Amino acid sequence: MSHDNDFKRDLAEIAAHKLREGRITKRGFLQAMAALGVIPMAGLGGRAMAAPSELVIVNWGGTAADVIKEVLGDTYKEATGIDVVIDGSGPSAGRIRAMVESGAVVWDVCDSGPGSAIILGEAGVTEPMNYDIIDRTKMMEGTDWEYGAGNYVYSYVLAYNPKLSEGGVPTSWADVFDTKNFPGMRTFRKAVRGMLECATMAQGVPLAEVYDVLSTEDGIDAAIEQFRKIRENVIVWGSGSESQNLFLQEEVVMGNIWSTRAHLLKDEMDEGTFAVSFDGGVMSPGTWVVPKGNPAGAEEAMKFIAFAQDPALQVKWFELIGSAPINPAAAPLVPESMSRWNPTSPENVATQILYNDEWYAANQIAAEEKYVNALIN
Amino acid sequence: MSAPEARTTPFRIAMSTGGWLVAAFLALPILVVIPVSLTDTSYIGLPKESLSLQHYEAYFTSARWLGGTLGSILVGLAVAFFATVLGTAFSIGVWFLGGRAATIARWVLIVPILVPPVVQSLGFYRFWVQLGLIDTWTGVILAHTLLALPYVSISVFAALANLDPKLPQAARSLGASIWRTVWEVVVPAARPGMITGAVFAFIVSFDEIVGVLFITVRRVETLPKLIWEGIQDNIDPTIAAVATILVVISLIVAVISGLRRS
Amino acid sequence: MTSDKARYWLLALPALAVMAIFYIWPLVNIWAISVTEPVPGFGNYVQGAESQAVTTSFVITFRVAALTTVFCVILGYICAYAIANTIRRAKPLLIALVLLPFWVSVLIRSFSWIVLLGRSGIVNDALRDVGVIERPLRLMHNEFGVVLAMVHVMLPFAVLPLLANMRGISPAYTDAARGLGASELTAFRLVYLPQTLPGIGSAALLVFVLSLGFYITPALLGGGRVLMVSEYITYQIQEFLNWGLGSALSVALLVATALVLVIAGRFLNLKNALLERS
Repeated sequence: MSHDNDFKRDLAEIAAHKLREGRITKRGFLQAMAALGVIPMAGLGGRAMAAPSELVIVNWGGTAADVIKEVLGDTYKEATGIDVVIDGSGPSAGRIRAMVESGAVVWDVCDSGPGSAIILGEAGVTEPMNYDIIDRTKMMEGTDWEYGAGNYVYSYVLAYNPKLSEGGVPTSWADVFDTKNFPGMRTFRKAVRGMLECATMAQGVPLAEVYDVLSTEDGIDAAIEQFRKIRENVIVWGSGSESQNLFLQEEVVMGNIWSTRAHLLKDEMDEGTFAVSFDGGVMSPGTWVVPKGNPAGAEEAMKFIAFAQDPALQVKWFELIGSAPINPAAAPLVPESMSRWNPTSPENVATQILYNDEWYAANQIAAEEKYVNALIN
Repeated sequence: MSAPEARTTPFRIAMSTGGWLVAAFLALPILVVIPVSLTDTSYIGLPKESLSLQHYEAYFTSARWLGGTLGSILVGLAVAFFATVLGTAFSIGVWFLGGRAATIARWVLIVPILVPPVVQSLGFYRFWVQLGLIDTWTGVILAHTLLALPYVSISVFAALANLDPKLPQAARSLGASIWRTVWEVVVPAARPGMITGAVFAFIVSFDEIVGVLFITVRRVETLPKLIWEGIQDNIDPTIAAVATILVVISLIVAVISGLRRS
Repeated sequence: MTSDKARYWLLALPALAVMAIFYIWPLVNIWAISVTEPVPGFGNYVQGAESQAVTTSFVITFRVAALTTVFCVILGYICAYAIANTIRRAKPLLIALVLLPFWVSVLIRSFSWIVLLGRSGIVNDALRDVGVIERPLRLMHNEFGVVLAMVHVMLPFAVLPLLANMRGISPAYTDAARGLGASELTAFRLVYLPQTLPGIGSAALLVFVLSLGFYITPALLGGGRVLMVSEYITYQIQEFLNWGLGSALSVALLVATALVLVIAGRFLNLKNALLERS
């Protein structure tokens, strides 16, 4: 609930976009994986056992099902002989719960988020993660939840178009909320997730105190007030591609968007018309969850999750669609030229905060209502 | 009314001009998809350097688009069949019955026109979950049949308005059974309404999106669902190509139906 | 004779039964959900009534629906008048143009408007090319864009009842008024216009009721800042899995729609306006 369904859908869609552009080819990808040692490495475990014939991985991307299949699925098939079926229908917490409760579970591993993972775990409809199979050291600290294992990271970042920005280049969130000195339209998300943090930082609150400040009624109201003040200059984005289109079509000068979309925009926009700042970004991890009674069995699901922890695979994944490696060992493997755009490079991690799911669980609904009201009223 | 003077009064000229402007407002925006579909760019816009059919190629080589199109057509045909059968029987029944109860029954049947799409879709979703109809073609056909029934019953009833009630009475008094009377006297009179109703039912189903968004997940994909996802997630000119194809077909159908009428 | 009656009911029954079981019952269920989830009682309604965002959303919904209705009735009136009274030879063409949108799905039409109204859309580009504007105008992601596109969708629904109404008006009265020396405008205002009031009423009712529950166009062109109730409901359900509040809002929207119909029923013959239209 507090996690981000939309982002997941977006990610898969980015992959589809890449496939259309021809940047991902199945053979090329498999070869790359084999060369990196990913395939044989994970290969041995699966085959020895009486393996299930298939594993259903559920993600968010209608059109992206093919791509996901190639990137994770075919590699895994190569490694284990197990067919990976990608279901792009969106494993929202509600759907997972409905499926488990109905008794007809057809999903094995779902791309979810920490908030959903916690809620689903408490509701008793997902399997606990088996950290004997999944390696805790291969994930960012604090992303090894009982009912969900971190799978990648994306950030909410300050993106801007230096060419259109008449008041000079915005260097902080304070500039983004200053329409007098930095005129032009900006874009924020339709929902509060990842948004109140930047409005709080804009008031000069240091990184470490953002969620403390937001934990008071006044803190939330102050953040909301920031949006109310500039709402005439706001266009909201609902889906990631919308945020991307807003920049591409020069509808906005600046805004708070997903790093994955920035990853695409850096290539799509002309030189000098797009930049991002990770200063004051909010890092948000995704998680794998496993529905209770999944057809292939919990253990097989865990093996797949462990497979996806490989740093080389995660780097490739980042290069292809921009979702950052959650395995700290992966950062050095990211090519030099891309490192600047990597939300989990050590330099960028230092200037960001981690998305706080507990805060969202406690405050989101109330904040959401105020936020919507500030923007539409 | 036929005085030549009348035609040229400022009032009439203003009304005529206004009428044409309104018609242009209705028709022209729809046609904008045609040039966009021929663009040589990978984003939405008018053609830059040359016309290109690449976006049509994208449609005709995409299993997903074609699958969705076929799915929509088949669902539409099934809906047209079921809605026409149910709706025609209903209208004939209430036409014979007349009176207050029949009028109430007719009101019941047009409720789906008046209920907000999102509200009825929530209803479908919850009930379809219980019935195990989520993400099934049966579920979509059933939902669409319900949404199409009002149109069939209205148009069949309108056609029956032209039928003289004495005619079936005469048939009965000559000894024809009630079913034979219905089949040989009433149904032929209802036929124009049935055809209109079937066409409406098909279109209602073919265009329906909100219900499909709620009651399908992945296995079932209709054309509107793919277009919706395209607009929401990744606007690209393939949608314009699809739109153009649909608009052109609509134009052809509209012209044919217009010719038949005149 | 009674057995005949039973047989007629037998014909009508299947459709009625299907409608009752698969349509009416699920709607009743929505009402039930609104007073049972997450806890029994009227908490969802209280929450909705106290929420400023919900109130604002209802205000936006009624405002957009009202604006759409006003524009549709005015434009639809002119168009229907032209078809019924002033255009002769090209009448079939005019009718075809008016009916054309009916054949094209709302989704496609919304897409067309997105293509037209975007900041670098066709309208802005054209205006910039001819030098009328320097900076692109904001034509969508706001109420203007939503109302414009909704008028486009609803206009045929206004033209048809008006046309049906005007077709039944004999020119004799207006001619008589003219013969008695009334100016054309006076004759129209005093004689013709009053006779078209039922048509105006049906057109307005139909457009208003359909606009209240409209989802597709506002969702695609509103950019999130024109949050109508239908979109807010899906938002509650999809983002928050908040079925309780979502259902309560649905019931509220349904009741609002029913109220509009009941109020309209005092002034209009609803049977003619809804049941008999074809």
